[in-house]
This record gives sequence, C-alpha cells and structure tokens, in this order.
Amino acid sequence: MVIAMLIRAEFEKLEEIKYISHLELMTTFRRAFRRAKLPLAYSKGFNPHIQLALAQPLKVGMVGWKEYFDLQLNQEMEIKDFISLVNQELPPGLKINKAVSIAEDSKALMATINTARYIFSMVFKQENIAEEDLLNRFLAEEEIRVRRERVKKGDIEINIRPMIQRAQIIGPGKWLFQVESGSERNLRPEEISRALADFSPDVAYVPIVNIVREGLYVKVKEELYSPLDEKIVGR
Amino acid sequence: MKVTDKLDKLLYKVKNPVRYIGNEWNMVKKEWAEDKIKVALAFPDLYEIGMSHLGLKLLYHLLNEEEDIICERTYAPWLDMEALLREEGIPLFSLENKKAITEFDVFGFTLQYEMSYTNIINMLDLAGLPLYSKDRDETYPLVIGGGSIVFNPEPIAPFFDLFYIGEAENGIVDLVKKYQELKDRKFKKDEILLELNQTPGVYVPGLYEPVYDEEGRIKSINPKYPGVKKKISRQVVSNLDQAYYPTKMIMPYMDTVHDRAVIEIARGCTRGCRFCAAGISYRPVRERSKETIIRLADEILENTGYDEVSLTSLSTMDYSAVADLVKTMARRYEEDRISISLPSLRVDRFSVNLAREVQRVRKTGLTFAPEAGSQRLRDVINKGVQDEDLYDAVRAAFEEGWSTIKLYFMIGLPTENQEDIAGIVELAKKVLEIGEEVRKKSARSRKKIQVNISVSTFKPKPFTPFQWVEMCSKEEIEEKQEYLKDKLRGKGLSFSWNDPDLSLLEGVFARGDRRLARVLESAWRKGARFDGWGESFAIDIWEAAFRENQLEMAAYHRARDLEEILPWDHINMGVSKKFLKEEYKAALAGRLTEDCRQAGCTGCAICFELETKLELYRGDSNVN
Repeated sequence: MVIAMLIRAEFEKLEEIKYISHLELMTTFRRAFRRAKLPLAYSKGFNPHIQLALAQPLKVGMVGWKEYFDLQLNQEMEIKDFISLVNQELPPGLKINKAVSIAEDSKALMATINTARYIFSMVFKQENIAEEDLLNRFLAEEEIRVRRERVKKGDIEINIRPMIQRAQIIGPGKWLFQVESGSERNLRPEEISRALADFSPDVAYVPIVNIVREGLYVKVKEELYSPLDEKIVGR
Repeated sequence: MKVTDKLDKLLYKVKNPVRYIGNEWNMVKKEWAEDKIKVALAFPDLYEIGMSHLGLKLLYHLLNEEEDIICERTYAPWLDMEALLREEGIPLFSLENKKAITEFDVFGFTLQYEMSYTNIINMLDLAGLPLYSKDRDETYPLVIGGGSIVFNPEPIAPFFDLFYIGEAENGIVDLVKKYQELKDRKFKKDEILLELNQTPGVYVPGLYEPVYDEEGRIKSINPKYPGVKKKISRQVVSNLDQAYYPTKMIMPYMDTVHDRAVIEIARGCTRGCRFCAAGISYRPVRERSKETIIRLADEILENTGYDEVSLTSLSTMDYSAVADLVKTMARRYEEDRISISLPSLRVDRFSVNLAREVQRVRKTGLTFAPEAGSQRLRDVINKGVQDEDLYDAVRAAFEEGWSTIKLYFMIGLPTENQEDIAGIVELAKKVLEIGEEVRKKSARSRKKIQVNISVSTFKPKPFTPFQWVEMCSKEEIEEKQEYLKDKLRGKGLSFSWNDPDLSLLEGVFARGDRRLARVLESAWRKGARFDGWGESFAIDIWEAAFRENQLEMAAYHRARDLEEILPWDHINMGVSKKFLKEEYKAALAGRLTEDCRQAGCTGCAICFELETKLELYRGDSNVN
C-alpha cells in the first residue's frame, strides 16, 4: 500500500443525519469519497478496505459539532480541493469544516483524544430553578455514583465525579460539561443525565436528543487542543 | 406542530430511527407546491426491505422525472414506531417532505407478499383513510396497487380503488396525470374510476361483482355496468433495452438486504418451472444489450459510489451473453475495486466457474436450488436439473474454495411421496461427502464444510400449471418436516424450515377471493401486523378472524376443478388456460417442457395475446 498522504479532518454531524449509526456513517463517508473520486489508499488482501479511522463514536440521536476522522490517500492533493470535493458529495447534515495533512506516523485519533465537551439542554420539572446553585451543589459532591451499563459483562456502579473536569452554565438551561473521553477513561453523556436526575428531584433525565457533543479535544496539562492543532499533529 | 418537529423529539425512542428520517443520497425532495400532482409510494413492510426493492425505486425516480409530479416514499412503521405514532397522534407521513398521506393525490402500494396485507390496512388506518374504497370519496387520495402479486388482488380488492396489472413503467405517468385531470374537472369518485378503468391495465375492482354459489365457489365475476371491459390485460414493456432505468438511484444509510448497485439485465424467465408464478407473470424474456447494461452500470456507480454491482434478473445465468458480460465488467471495474455479484446461480459448473472469476470476495457461501429431492419429482415440476449437475456444481464450488453450500428445496409438491423426501436427505449428504472429500485432498488447511438445507413449503399459485392442486395439510407438512429434522442432523448439516401455519395462510391468500377482505380486517383489528415476521405472527388471531367471518382456511386449500371459475379469471395474464392445463397434465405424466428460448414456441400464448415477443441479446460489441 502506498500512502502518499494522511489527512485529518474535522466535520459536523447535524440534525438531519443524527440518527445514523457509527457504522452507517463510515459507509456514508466511504461512498462519498468514491463519488468524489479521491485517490484512496486501500488495504492489501482479498477484500481491500479504505483506510478511514473515525474518532470516538457519537451516540445515535446526538448532534456533533467538531468530530474527526483520519483518511489515507495514495496521492497528494490540495487540502482545499479535498474539502470541496468531499463536501459536494456529502448528504445534508454532514460537512467537513477543516482538514490538515498530518505525519504518517501520527498517533491514532482514538489514542490522542482524551476529552469531550457536551452541551445539555436541561429539562426542569419546576419553574424558576436556581441553576447556578444547583450545578454548584452537584459539582460539590465528592462522589457521584451511577450505574454503568455493560454489554455481556453486566452493569457495575462507578463514581463519575473524577471524570468531570469542569461544568458551567452557558445560557438559561444550557449546561456545558467537559469530561474525560478516551480509550483509558470515558464518561458517557447519558451517565451525566442519570446522575443529574438522581441528584435533584427538580431535574428530569435529559434525553440524548437534548445533548450536543460540542467537540472532542486533546488535553495536555490544563490546555485543550484541537486534534488538528500543530502542537498535536506536529506539522 | 409539524410532523418534523414532533418526530425530532421522539425518534430516539424507537429501534432503528434511521428507517424514518429520509434524507438519503439521491433522494428527490421537491418543493411542496399546490399545483403539483403528489404521489406517495408505499411499501407495506419495513424500510430496509422496501429499500431493497427495485420496482419501487424505478417508479419513484420515473415519476419524479416529471416536472409536475412530486413522488415521495413511505414504509410500514415497526410496532414500536406505530405505537408512538398513535400515542402522539402523528399520521403516517412521507420521508421526503414529511407530509401526511392525506396531503397526497395518489397513495400507491407495491404488493410483493401476501403476508404484508395487514400492513396495508394498518397503513391506510395510520394515514387516517377509511379502509374501504367505497367509504372514500374524491377528497381522499386515490389508493392504487401494483406489483408482482397483483395478479390475484382479490383478497385485498375492496380496500383499493384500482390496481395496475403488469409492468407499470409505460403507463403510470399517464394514469396519474389522467386522474389529476379528472379531479380538476370536478369529477366524482365513481365517475373518475369509471373513466380510469378504460386505461389499459387498470383494474377497478369495485366495477366487478363476484357471485358465489352455496359452497363458496365463484359462479361469475362480471362487470357491473355495460361498457366496462370484461378482462384486464397485463401490461408488458416492449424494447426493454430502451426502457427507462434510473441511474441516480436513492441509497439508504441503513444496511439493507441489497445495498449495492443493481442493474436489471433482463426481465422474465422461460425455463417453465411449473410451481413458479414469476416464471409466467414476467414473460416473455427480454434482455438489455450489453452496451446498455455497461452504460447503466457506469452511471449508477458514478452516482452512488457503490463498490459492488449486482446483475439481477429472474435467472441471470440464462442471459444470452452472460460470460462475456460478466468478464467485461469485471475487467472494467477492477481498478476501482468494484466487485460483480451474481444473485442466483444455476445448478451447474459453468455458473460456479463464472462466479469464481468475478467474485473477488468469497462470500459466506453459494446457494443452489434443486427444488426437489428426486429426478422423478424434478421432472414433474419441470426443473431441468440432474443429480449429476448438482454434484458437479458443488464439487466445483468446494474446489474453488467455498466451504458453505446452501441447498434450497420445497416440500408438499404435487405427487410427492416418501422417496422424494428421502431424496432430499440423500442429496444433502452426498453434497457434504463431496465437500469432505475435496477438503481432505486440499493441500492447505481448510474451513470445515457446511451444508445448509433450507426447505420451504409449496403453495399453489395463480396462473401456474399447479393453480388447481390441493395444498398439503398441516399434518403432512409437519410429518415431512419431522422426518427431515430427524435425518438432517449431524456435523456439517443444518436444516431450516418454515412455520407450517404461516405457509398455510400464505396458501389461503395466494388463491383467495374477495370474501377474505373481511378476514383481513378482523385479523388486523385483533392486532395482526408484519405477519411474515416470525416474531409478530400469531395463528390464533387468524383462526379467530376466519371463525368470525364464517370462512374456513381449508376451503381455500382444496383442489380446484379444472372447469371451475377462479377468482382471478378476469385478469388476463396473457397465458392461455389451455396451456396451463396441458402443463398440468404433462406434470402428472412426468413429461418435460423445454425452454422456448431454445426449443421454439411451447404455446403459452403470451407473446400473441399481449402482442409482445422475446427480446434476446445477440450482438457482439467492443465495449471494454
């Protein structure tokens, strides 16, 4: 396999397409790339695959504003051509906003990204909730225990408090959570929903469709970087 | 609140919400404008089944080619989605503009399978339409039906305003426009239907009245008024090579059954298997030229980005230049890593070799359909396959590296006896033996050999030489299945079969009459939905529905008298009854009838009756 170029792209997955699954998203990209006639690099073997790697799956039903993939090409091309060619072939709700060429030996997306930010559109059971106070009391908890659902292995109870890096109210009923999201430790947004509903009788469980994944990040010390940032991809 | 806003907040609650969102690549979403004719095309089963159906896609794109027509799609909601729609008071809607069905002028169903009839009723109800044609005036959308089982539409006739009999691509646009014109001229519903019934291929069931005798046999089915045509003739596309074929084909996000570029290379089959309804109802054979097929494939691949092309037809291996076509395409698309798939293989070495040459990816297995276990019975059904053909084909397949073979048989065929059933076991075991033998000889270590035997139950179908025969009883079916379950055990063998209750019910509706509409309604009211899906099928609902309407299932399984009037006799399929009777006699005598494509006319009368002819591809070409 010839790899002439490795591209890292930032895309958005909006309302129109939020109900398609991770696998369906991969297929959608693959077909769009083929329609765009990109010089795709294929794996060797009987059943060659394109070399597309997506970052952490987005839950079905959730909108994502800054999502990422890496794609290998077997020929160099201009980044702006790449973006415009692919965008012409993407269905409504899916769009590439940025892309960079990265070093061939760059760390994989899944291994690089360690942080996610979610915006919750809260559902309150009462009017005139003192939101600031409520959030502060929530964050003041030393332990926030929720049930983690695990396929096959059976559910367990975990403490999610250490995985919440910070939270803040960015508008009426709009709560932003910055949490760990990576291959080592990963906090699922529905676990925050569950914890909030458990914590206060005034808060209803926030359904997936009320949550936006604002972005995925690489946290180095206390700084957040985009996976496309020079400091991360080194080019 | 608009459907869209409500949906957005609710869809996460259902399984596979992607079934209901639309927005697929190549979807045609036009601006919703007052002066356009709006057609909603419905597939009465799940989205992923409907999106695999070529006919519906063809009509969808064909209608949307017309500037003054807006054509949108809708599918049967799964049980969870139905509950949600009812709970929230959301009517059945189209995927494109998310409009309620009542905002359309025409509501068209494709009829593919008898067991989706309750879904049709359910969709009419979810759309907010009165179920019966007689209860809907011209302010409701015109409910029309077409498709491969429309040739006996009697059990669902009272729910429909009209059916289109045969291949619709020549007539559908005119029909829709004619309807709109009549509506614009303020015609009343009955006047509209009377007018439309004059269109070739259009069958307005309300204009015909079946009369039954005391035993429930049909005494007559006559037009209610003078001037109404006595018979409705099947419409056939002539010059398939030049016929419309969509190349900007809509493609689902969801992984559907046939999620690949599909090119219909030919229509019809003249092999003449006597159990097969499609074998008659799609005659004559018409082939597209190699040049056209390649042009269509180029365009579809370009417009979709698919990496697999399927060459489809009732019997792809019978295409006149199949080897040349397949090899040309394989070479042409190799560089773009596009593979060619052949949907059905003939039982012979030639088919296997061709599949090996083009199918880069070794799929899980190969399927062959000997249909019956003995030579005697295969002669009865006119399946021209010898044991040796099968052994030869599977040997080739094992040698080429396939390790799983699926064999497809039927039980309950006319004249079947114990030896025929034992023959299924014998064939299956012999195939396994051949596989083991090849595997042992092979130098490399190989996956173990697996033979899957799938046995369905024969149902007599209208317009076949077996339309008169009695259907096997439940006891007989179970006895045969038990025998096979017992004998087809062991390493390397697996056996699958159909629920006998479901097969028997399919048998009822396949040859049913109009009285069954009431049974369908009762069963639907009792909760029958998606009856073809094992998980939601409940026979007790159906038994109660039959009792409630004083009808018996068994009465529909009986042998029909050769001279009796059949519920579908007013539909002119083109085939002569005399031919079917002769074929029936030939079957009982174990006499074979050859393929008219090689042996010359066998007298089915279709070409003559429907003024059409075989269209076989003869040309050579240099397209590479």
